[in-house]
Amino acid sequence: MKRRDFLKYLGIGAGGLGAGFVLGKASNPPGAKLIPYLIPPEDVIPGVANWYAGVCTQCNAGCGTIVRVMEGRAKKIEGNPLHPVSRGKLCARGQASLQALYNPDRIKGPMRRISKGGDFTGISWEEGLEILSGNLAKLDKDAPGLYMLTPPLRGHLNSLVNGFMAAFGSPDYFQYELFQHRNLIAANRLSASLSEIPYYDIENTKFLLSFGADFSSTWLSPVNMSYGYGRMRQGGQGKRGRLVSVEPRMSLTGANADEWVPARPGTEGILALSMAYEIVSQGYYRGADGGAWKSVLARYRPAEAAKITDVGEERIKRIAREFAETRPSLAIGGECVASYENGVSGLVAVNVLNHVAGNMGIKGGVVPNSEGFVEGARRPDLKTDRISTLLKSASEGRVKALIVYNTNPLFTAPKALDAGGSLSKIPFIVSLSSFMDSTTAAADLILPSHTSLEDWGDDFAEPAVGTPVYTMNQPAVSPVFDTKGAGDILLAAARGAGGRVADRLKWNTFEAYLRESWQGLYKRNRAMASSAPTFDEFWSRTLQNGGWWQEAEEPRKRAVYVSASGAGPHLPQSPSRFEGDEKEYPFYLVLYPHAGHFDGRGANLPWLQETPDPMTSVVWGGWIEINPKTAGGLGVKEGDMVTVDSPSGRVQLPVYLYPGIRPDTVAMPIGQGHTEYGRYAKGRGSNPLDMVPAKEDGISGEIALNSTRVKITTSDMSGEMVKMEGSTKELGREIVQTVSPEEFEKMPKDAV
Amino acid sequence: MEGILKRIAEKFRDYRVPGYYKKFDYRWTMVVDLDMCNGCGACVVACRAENNSATVGKEECRKGRALNWIRIERYVEGEYPDIKVKFIPIMCQNCSSAPCEIGCPVYATYHNQDGLNVQVYNRCVGTFTCATYCPYDVRRFNWFTYKWDKPLDEQLNPDLTVREMGVMEKCTFCIQRIRVAKDRAKDEKREIKDGEVKPACVQTCPTGALVFGDLNDPESSVSRMARNPRRYRLLEELNTDPSVIYLKRVMAEGPSEREG
Repeated sequence: MKRRDFLKYLGIGAGGLGAGFVLGKASNPPGAKLIPYLIPPEDVIPGVANWYAGVCTQCNAGCGTIVRVMEGRAKKIEGNPLHPVSRGKLCARGQASLQALYNPDRIKGPMRRISKGGDFTGISWEEGLEILSGNLAKLDKDAPGLYMLTPPLRGHLNSLVNGFMAAFGSPDYFQYELFQHRNLIAANRLSASLSEIPYYDIENTKFLLSFGADFSSTWLSPVNMSYGYGRMRQGGQGKRGRLVSVEPRMSLTGANADEWVPARPGTEGILALSMAYEIVSQGYYRGADGGAWKSVLARYRPAEAAKITDVGEERIKRIAREFAETRPSLAIGGECVASYENGVSGLVAVNVLNHVAGNMGIKGGVVPNSEGFVEGARRPDLKTDRISTLLKSASEGRVKALIVYNTNPLFTAPKALDAGGSLSKIPFIVSLSSFMDSTTAAADLILPSHTSLEDWGDDFAEPAVGTPVYTMNQPAVSPVFDTKGAGDILLAAARGAGGRVADRLKWNTFEAYLRESWQGLYKRNRAMASSAPTFDEFWSRTLQNGGWWQEAEEPRKRAVYVSASGAGPHLPQSPSRFEGDEKEYPFYLVLYPHAGHFDGRGANLPWLQETPDPMTSVVWGGWIEINPKTAGGLGVKEGDMVTVDSPSGRVQLPVYLYPGIRPDTVAMPIGQGHTEYGRYAKGRGSNPLDMVPAKEDGISGEIALNSTRVKITTSDMSGEMVKMEGSTKELGREIVQTVSPEEFEKMPKDAV
Repeated sequence: MEGILKRIAEKFRDYRVPGYYKKFDYRWTMVVDLDMCNGCGACVVACRAENNSATVGKEECRKGRALNWIRIERYVEGEYPDIKVKFIPIMCQNCSSAPCEIGCPVYATYHNQDGLNVQVYNRCVGTFTCATYCPYDVRRFNWFTYKWDKPLDEQLNPDLTVREMGVMEKCTFCIQRIRVAKDRAKDEKREIKDGEVKPACVQTCPTGALVFGDLNDPESSVSRMARNPRRYRLLEELNTDPSVIYLKRVMAEGPSEREG
């Protein structure tokens, strides 16, 4: 062989080998392309972070967020510094919401149940949407029996769901969540002519009287209110604000209070009214209808109220006078009051107290927000849109198909309501949830939706901050799993259904729907229109800023008035009722949302499981709080397992000796005890909702959580409570040093 | 050769003089207003998210091996119904005469030129000496190489490392954020502005109880707050000279019922 030929063959061989390698690789996954980083994707610079604005969905506060994204992955979530609700801050749950995005137990793609009661099998999106449209097409045109269940949505997803249900001719859209503030909405509607939740201006108040409102961890808008709390204490001008907390179980907010008033459970409303009586009778009330108030409140004299509420008469009078004299002051009624059987009347009583002290509609008091403004969106009808109504319809077989999105009644509704039994009578349940929660596990078809970090959306914060806050949510990262946006799934189902439904919901994507809706907002809202010359510019600015809100000027003045004749019929007549005989069941049961897991939704995030509870430092499990004296009487010590029985059910939990609770009361956090919901949540502790009777507030339909008595017996069940604290005593080490208020007054303030 | 050794020795002598950090450009300090802190725990989770702290699970938590760099301590006084509860966030105090630095046999923990107590993970051989010497119990030891269930690992912050078994770790005042701010300031030929660096806990604190900045700048917010008459430092009698300044909680003595 000549040298030249050798080289020739070698060349061919090498070329062939190379070609074969290239072809083989290229043809392996057909159509797959490897794009080098020489042509980088738009807005990706390795090592440089992009921040995308969005909204937090861990609770209903509607905090604006910014998400730090590097090379397409979300790294950190922080408060949006421009946003008037979050003001650049986030709570523990907001910080942890990244773990919802990257949760290993997310549903990774559409699934359908092979047979009733059988296992799930993965399917394609085409197949899943076909099953959904097929089932929807089978429904009767006149009485479709199509039901929808979502959490209380506020943005344009709410109006899309309404449009979807209207297109199918179904009125049965329900909103349910455990802590959805229906009582607060009802109380404000009935007594203060407010159709929305007002802004409680903690920041500017000088005397904050909390009736079981734990705004430091979970109530209403924790981040915004905690910011206000910090400013009330030190950051603001003038006098340091005082905080007094009325609640049978000292919450985190109660622990920060200057004074804790452990009133008897269920009597907080009466206590508020006895203070109102004292204010009116001492002549602090400035309105013209003082006489009418005096006669309405005559039944709540401090002397009698002292016996009912277990708070001394002099103490009631002293707090009442201080509340009236300190200007401005503010009373807030929270979850603890709202969770009684007469929750609405308790909150009406708090409104009355605010009114007679002159706190309605003033800076540092109750500031009205503007009304809802989303076209097509709607608030729940408190009379009919109740979870109990939905479950009744289901058990009577009227529900032909149910679409559930991101709400979990099988966990969050009291077991006594038998949500499981009712839902099992529904022939077709489709869940749009991202996680395998109890309700999703009972579905026939699962079309998993994006988490908020992957999806489009918007939110209208309630309470806002005296001026409206419109928050925009955009996808910060591309979908981690094979999921779709909830709005996109509904639009696809409508397309699949064809006919008039498809005509009415003509948008191809939820993004297009959102954009078009915002274009409508932009056209109608003069302040919006004047903020940018064109809609395109307005839109990109909104995405950049994370929403749209007006500069915080002086809050808009709107008269808020509580009339004696209007509020009178809704005042609490007697202490709230508790199921169970006092002799057999000696303890009041008080339930509260866990600081990290809220209504249970945070229990699948390991960061929250391992974050010590602020009041007990317990991690990775539940507990029951018992006063040390009571525990001594029962013969149980810390960490012992006890059996807790109510007339409606039983749970078993370890004991935490909690000094800040009435001896006749025991308390438990809600959030643990999942039977589904992924590896981090499943099988930890018990769900106290198993003991709650099926009772709801007559006016609002809110579940009455605190409405039963319990008895406690020792249990031989094994279980372990892990707490992170050692001693709760300082042992003379002066770790947290204090100054008395008098000494503080004397300190020079100019140095700060 | 001898000249070089002499110069090094002189340099070292400079570094070992107490208060040497006062010569440097920054002295990072945190001020915690205990009258604003409500103990919510947002800082605890924010720190976890920023600093790639592993979750260790219930069993390890029981053994006291949780890897949180900041914790909220809660102290309870009195008996029902006169309960007083006090909260205090405790992170590495970045002491200027730090006991941990004296103990480390491999110079894994040392004082840097910004007044920070720094932990070099690559040097650490896990003798646990520093944690034993620390009076504030803020050092955390990796007893295992903890794993993140996929895809939770996609969240990991690329600005700092993930620690492995046998390494001591602790709060760094988010040194990665300080570095970024320093680089930016250097590029723009200026000093770091007050409020430009915010560790994750300070950034998220809903009540605004945590403030961070440079104590060498007399106009910075921490310098102003450090002059507050409520100021104290944790276990000050130990002379560790901490870089964390607490402001006393305003709280009446005695039972709350008697309060005006």
